[in-house]
Amino acid sequence: MQALTVLYDPECGLCRRAHEWLAEQAKIIELKFVPCASDEARKRYPQLNHDLTKQDLTVVDDLGWVYFGPKAWLMVLWALARYRDWSYRLAAPELLPTTKRVVSMISQNRYQIGRVAGLTR
Amino acid sequence: MTIGISTYLIYLSISIALTIWVARTLHKNGRVFLVDVFHGNEALADSVNHLLVVGFYLINFGYVTLALKLGYAVTSAEQSIEALSVKVGMVLLVLGGMHFFNLFVFSRMRRRSHVPQNNQPPVNPDTFTATAVHQEA
Repeated sequence: MQALTVLYDPECGLCRRAHEWLAEQAKIIELKFVPCASDEARKRYPQLNHDLTKQDLTVVDDLGWVYFGPKAWLMVLWALARYRDWSYRLAAPELLPTTKRVVSMISQNRYQIGRVAGLTR
Repeated sequence: MTIGISTYLIYLSISIALTIWVARTLHKNGRVFLVDVFHGNEALADSVNHLLVVGFYLINFGYVTLALKLGYAVTSAEQSIEALSVKVGMVLLVLGGMHFFNLFVFSRMRRRSHVPQNNQPPVNPDTFTATAVHQEA
């Protein structure tokens, strides 16, 4: 695996901030950022359910394997040199349910979190 | 020479000797760690090792110097020994703390330098989608 395409929500302040943070991190695997449900995303992945990508973070690897929601977050962590260990820790059977719960909660409330943290445009 | 001054001198010689001993131990045994951390780059390992030891000396001698003052007059041999036990004991504890801190730094550097060998993704994919590359092919 050489690259991961991250389909992110360009409307959300938290996601833009996360994008900026990710840009600065040392990566083991290249990350490409494409706004979800955009023309480019549709061109790249004509068969993907793009309504689903608007609901939660989606990551597609260069072979075409798709990771939704919490799994997508873990894959992004896995791509970072400093956090690869953490991706395994958070994906361990004992922690995975908690990881999924926390990530879904943040994801579903991303607009509110962004607004509270002052990350709106 | 009064008993007070000899107490100070004994304190200084014990503290300095202990600091030098611990620093040398660290210098000698830390090198192996650092060579491993820097993937066999011995010049860099020696340089970092030396810098660490200089920092170690500075902090410990700084503490020894600051902690010199007793604050009361020593008039008997008993008092002198009691004062020395407190002062040298503190120096030993500071040295021990510094030593463990150094070990912690070494082990952390070592852990950091190990690039994760595991190339398996942490989770299984949810689904598969054809990419534009597939379409062109």
